Amino acid sequence: MIDPTLVLQALVSGVLAAGLYALVSVGLALAIGVIGIVNFAHGEFFMVGAFFAYQLFVSFGIDPVVSLFLVAPALGLIGALIYASTIRFVLKAPELNQMLLTFGLGIILQNLALLVWGGDPRTISGIAYRSIGFQIGPISVGLVPLASFVISLALVLGLYWMLARTATGRAMRAVAQNRIGAALVGLEVDRVYLVAFALSALLAGIGGVMIAVIQSPTPTIGLAFTLKAFAIVVVAGLGNIRGVLFASLFVAIAESMVATLVPNGDTLRNAVFFAIIFVVLVWRSRRVA
Amino acid sequence: MNPAAKRRTVPWDVLGLLLLIAVALFTPELLRALFDRASVSYLSIAINALSLAVLALSWDMLARTGQLSLAHAAFYGAGAYTTALMLRHLELPMWLGIPAGGVVAVLFALLLGSLTLRLRAIYFAIATLAFAEVLKSVAHHAPTSFAGGNAGMNVAPLFRPTFVAGEMERWEVAFLRNESYFYVYAGLLVLTVLVSIALQRSRLRHAFTAIRTNEDVAGVMGVRPARVKLLAFMLSAAGVGMLGAVEAHRIGSVLPDQSFAVATTVLALVTPIFGGLYTTLGPIVGALGLSSIQELLRRTFDDGYLIGYGVVLVLTILFMPRGVVGTLGNAWRKRGAGKPRAKRTSDDATEKPGGEA
Amino acid sequence: MHRTVRTLFTLLALIALGAAAAQGVTIGVLTPLTGGAAGTGQAQRAGFELALEEINAAGGVLGAPLAIVIEDTQANPAVGLAAFEKLMTEDGVEFIAGGFSSGVTLALVESFRTFQPIVMWIGGAVSGIGIDGFDGIEELIGQEDWFFHVHPWDYHNVEAATAFVADTGSQSVALLHEDSAFGGPGSAGAQALIEGAGLTVPLREAFTSTLLGGTGDFRAAIAKAAATDADLLYWIGYDSDVVPLTSQVRELNYNPQYIFGAPPGWPTEFAAAPEAQCVTGLIGFLPNLPTPEAAAFTTAYQAKFGAEPDNYFSALAYANLWAYADAINAAGTTDQGAVIAELEAGTFRSPIGDWSFEPSVVGKHQGFTTDLWLVFQYQDGVREIVWPIEKATAPLVSCR
Repeated sequence: MIDPTLVLQALVSGVLAAGLYALVSVGLALAIGVIGIVNFAHGEFFMVGAFFAYQLFVSFGIDPVVSLFLVAPALGLIGALIYASTIRFVLKAPELNQMLLTFGLGIILQNLALLVWGGDPRTISGIAYRSIGFQIGPISVGLVPLASFVISLALVLGLYWMLARTATGRAMRAVAQNRIGAALVGLEVDRVYLVAFALSALLAGIGGVMIAVIQSPTPTIGLAFTLKAFAIVVVAGLGNIRGVLFASLFVAIAESMVATLVPNGDTLRNAVFFAIIFVVLVWRSRRVA
Repeated sequence: MNPAAKRRTVPWDVLGLLLLIAVALFTPELLRALFDRASVSYLSIAINALSLAVLALSWDMLARTGQLSLAHAAFYGAGAYTTALMLRHLELPMWLGIPAGGVVAVLFALLLGSLTLRLRAIYFAIATLAFAEVLKSVAHHAPTSFAGGNAGMNVAPLFRPTFVAGEMERWEVAFLRNESYFYVYAGLLVLTVLVSIALQRSRLRHAFTAIRTNEDVAGVMGVRPARVKLLAFMLSAAGVGMLGAVEAHRIGSVLPDQSFAVATTVLALVTPIFGGLYTTLGPIVGALGLSSIQELLRRTFDDGYLIGYGVVLVLTILFMPRGVVGTLGNAWRKRGAGKPRAKRTSDDATEKPGGEA
Repeated sequence: MHRTVRTLFTLLALIALGAAAAQGVTIGVLTPLTGGAAGTGQAQRAGFELALEEINAAGGVLGAPLAIVIEDTQANPAVGLAAFEKLMTEDGVEFIAGGFSSGVTLALVESFRTFQPIVMWIGGAVSGIGIDGFDGIEELIGQEDWFFHVHPWDYHNVEAATAFVADTGSQSVALLHEDSAFGGPGSAGAQALIEGAGLTVPLREAFTSTLLGGTGDFRAAIAKAAATDADLLYWIGYDSDVVPLTSQVRELNYNPQYIFGAPPGWPTEFAAAPEAQCVTGLIGFLPNLPTPEAAAFTTAYQAKFGAEPDNYFSALAYANLWAYADAINAAGTTDQGAVIAELEAGTFRSPIGDWSFEPSVVGKHQGFTTDLWLVFQYQDGVREIVWPIEKATAPLVSCR
């Protein structure tokens, strides 16, 4: 009854979809997971990145493959500016204050985008690779999902390496573990946070460009990805960058399987995703204790 | 500052509650006397503000135990769907749906709370968010003949005042309807405030604070964190469940995306932080403040009024890190510190954010 | 303190007096200008503003300039309700226009009934007809004297879409639909109609729209459609689903003869995207509609906003306001009975052509119906009208 080709395709699609999930999660994993800033405006960083890629395409005909290298640093800069002008002042406050602050920032960014680009979906039109799938027997492997998988793999490993091996990365982990202690041993705590937050925004910029390629940028496009990214980062375990990849794989494959094997399964994607998140979190908390 | 001194101070919380009741009782007629037909519109805005206040204060009660819930849309939606389902399948008086909505929300809170007892901080938050998303999907995928599926369900209004031609104007009918809803929402807020004050005055308050500050230490001190946290969860859900039910009647429908909107959860969290956490007054001030600010902004600017709203949030948290009530309360205490009446305004301010009961 | 309060009230009273003293007619507009549905609301606003400018250039209404007050509903029922009651009691309007989202419309029903202004409503297409145990907008207020519905009802949309599907000569149809009140209830009706026309529907499958929490991965649903190898892929979703859906159909190597979509709008600039080629879509208005009205509207719109009227809600909003202006002018008064009589009797201008109000299944006043709908096909970057044949600018071509 069940078509084996469909199952195989679901598996391939699921594995590749994990790439996008990991891609939108790495930046957040750094902000929350490593340095402990709960950033409710992270989704708006995706959105801004997506619109930047769109605008660069419309105004200058720059392909997203190229504009990636302009948008990501631009988002990093915006992240740095936002950190220096606002977030810096709430670092010592309870994390709820960070939530309110970043929620306010998110509203500002979203409605600025609405003023600038309007509410209608925009499209990066002139790119052929969005529709390309490599046919391997009866199975199709999408070029864009494949690319996002490779990029996210590179980013996750790169970030992991940076945190483990570089001075900046070690400083970040030190600050995350013990801010006062880190200051005592001579680390410039504020600067470490600045770099980490900017890097997190930069990574969101990369995710945003990818979203602009596969979808139509709108001012509200960030939310769906952000909710899932938050969940993935938390399930992966705070500070566990490689865990992001495994968590993404697990939920994305499960989603894809249910969406394929169950009638009207696509509408169960979010239920499957969040049910897994819920069960994993609860199960883990009970096992540990 | 010490408990003995506290007992002798003026019961500001009870006075405040009485004031709230008095103001609420007279608000509709006062608005009508002052603004004539425009009172209909102002009541509508006031109802939305009261709704936000119930949501925010309920959320805060749970937050006092350190549990940052992202599940309040689930309680709201559970209440809304309960009353809609009862209306559709049972021959019962319509108003029963409101307490029933509260009860169902409490049951979900009990379920969620007992499953997430050992989760802390953001692990807890994400688990509750996931729970709400799953519940939304359940409402969506329940059999269409049972819960309406993707089209949702109609919900009849609680009040339908009749228009008598020649004896009244049409806006007066709208006034009567809004007045009735206003009292229901105000009643819900009074109930929530009562619960909140009772919690703040009881020994539970210290248990809440102890758990929030350090659950393990609280356990050692003789507090039973599991029981206390579950109790907070249920009390927090009750008001929101009833609110969801009332609102379903007022807006005439339940729909999965509308009744379980993430926006509900976000507002539940943002409002108390804005107003002042872990207090009774803070979330209420937050709700009334945010509603007024948004209304003023939308009446002032044609475009981009929500940018101004975002700016207000950002500036508030930068310059009033303990929220409006927490920060102003602190300033007030400092100012009055040298004066003989200082003790009247001082409350048990041993904890960080907020302070005023 | 006392003086401040008194000054404030004096000020408020003056404002109220000022509003009352203004001679002209004011029309209240409710539409979502922020949030996820802002695109449609902004399109409506553009249509209203253009019509307003033209109406006032042509002498206004009853000899005075017409005014509109636009209120943002945020597509939120409670906010929409407060906005409507503001229009009725603070702005003192007697005519309501605009509208979007069935959730908001359902929230307004009680208050509509109370105030009974004339409501000429563009949005809220959920009729409720054919959904057991659910009362839609048409069933609830369609019979009211004061309610005029401009946009076709959901069954009109489905009727037009299925008529096109049958006309393509396809044998089998795979039907994908988003699963909210917009695309859900209509899809069963669509299947019945298509099967009634003698075609087979091997698959009817729901998906979660990107507008409502989906992340735009439709591959599972598309793979199922591909497995049926149906001649025609018919999908109902939102405009933000267009790009992911059409590109993933290609990526998964599904080559139906026709890819046919019925979202409420199409993303700007999609025409130039390679995956747009041969995609067909249902739409209420196109700038290249070969009629003088359409050309005039498109020219004026471009001059005012510097862009093409891409979203057909602009055209509907424009028609909405002009109908008010023409009916009130014909009545020579704002008296409700007289205006209703003129709205019922009159024929009105629109970028789509002349239109009038006729009864629908249970409704008394229905503006556009099945006839509104056009099907276009992206052919080398241009949206050619391919259906109905009498309005076609180019023949329909197969994707294969």
